[in-house]
Amino acid sequence: MNKILIVEDEDALRLLYEEELAAEGYDVTTVRDAEGALDLLGRERFDLIVTDIRMPGRDGVELITQIVGLRKDIPIIINTAYQSYKDDFMTWAADAYVVKSSSLVELKARIKDLLAR
Amino acid sequence: MTSPSELRKDPISGRWVIIATERSKRPDEFRSERWPPRRKPGAALFCPFCPGNEAKTPPEIYAVPGVGASPGGAGWRVRVVPNKFPALTRGETPIRNCRGLFESLDGIGVHEVIIESPDHDKDLPDLPPDHVRDILSACQSRFRSIETESQYAYIQLFKNKGPEAGASLSHPHSQIVATPIIPKRVKEEIFASERHFRRTGKCLFCRTLVEETEAGERIVRANGHFAAIAPFASRFPFEMRIFPRRHSPYFSAAAPEEIAALGEILQAVLSTLKSILDDPPFNIILHQGPHPARAREIWPDIDRIAHWYIEIIPVLIRIAGFEWGTGFYINPVVPEDAARFLRG
Repeated sequence: MNKILIVEDEDALRLLYEEELAAEGYDVTTVRDAEGALDLLGRERFDLIVTDIRMPGRDGVELITQIVGLRKDIPIIINTAYQSYKDDFMTWAADAYVVKSSSLVELKARIKDLLAR
Repeated sequence: MTSPSELRKDPISGRWVIIATERSKRPDEFRSERWPPRRKPGAALFCPFCPGNEAKTPPEIYAVPGVGASPGGAGWRVRVVPNKFPALTRGETPIRNCRGLFESLDGIGVHEVIIESPDHDKDLPDLPPDHVRDILSACQSRFRSIETESQYAYIQLFKNKGPEAGASLSHPHSQIVATPIIPKRVKEEIFASERHFRRTGKCLFCRTLVEETEAGERIVRANGHFAAIAPFASRFPFEMRIFPRRHSPYFSAAAPEEIAALGEILQAVLSTLKSILDDPPFNIILHQGPHPARAREIWPDIDRIAHWYIEIIPVLIRIAGFEWGTGFYINPVVPEDAARFLRG
């Protein structure tokens, strides 16, 4: 079973992603911030990371550049409410950029694509 | 009483500028006025443009190979890749939708990134002129390719250096964006040139170059193919324009020897800019004619009235309410003084 780490500061969204992606057959772990993600990544192995950008503390762009600085082989999806971060070339550390919407169709499709690579 | 300022009109943009003539600022006065960096230095452990990270970019569409280069892998000198998360995406000619006053069309276009050097810390002022030539050749090759598709009405090459100039990454790079419409500022310049052409039978840009050469005091540097000037009505301190001497609307039509000469002059003026202003943030913008098929629908004489050139804008002052409201700019450095400092 593929292990997915979700980094999201909103409680309701963390719960939604956890339930929806678990229903797709993934082993889902959620954390609320970048610090929690880095701590967990030091101890556990994940097959894919989905991260928000605007979060308290370190933002998602800093988080993904740190992750890729350590390990380039984990697929990363940026999942944000904002289009504007596309202007930031540091987001190229991610493999996909999904703009949040009420439907998780695109997010699920990107997860499936990246895990199939 | 003598006025402490002078209003000057730029013949190309038609814009008026307030030049503070009473006490022109010196380059060292701008050194301490920098804005704080957006992100803490050292925060990034990864750069998507550095060698070894090629897999994090989309597959390259053009590369200037270095010694021992492998296609799609390391060893490159210059790389061009599509933007991974582009502002506009490729497509067919879009249909215009109009609802009353409100007009829209699909966001088709081209968005590419030129990774100018494998060295994260060596930007245009630090590179040898032949490397700058290779960057320009790569850009020219991409222009020629994009120009084969007439749905892209205008191609813009630009470079943002430094966070204050809009760069999100310090690794040297520039961008190409091709749009499905002719941008307003491009139209304004060509209309101004067309008016001049109807009146005089001459290209406005060629005439500007002749008059600037005669005046001499705003010439920064020149070679056989190009002249760099501090424009008469510069909006910003130490602003420059580099004009090709040979009349041509299109950068893509520049000959190899012109590209080499542009590499030489561009590197030289940027090197001086870096030295006198302590590595300032800046923007570089290439102006040229719109796609010939699209341009001729508006200007049948496009080949005679458009003239490509490069604009360099150091980002040293902020744009505020007066500038946004009026389109007037206030420049605290007299262009003749700027040219004198830039000549070194």
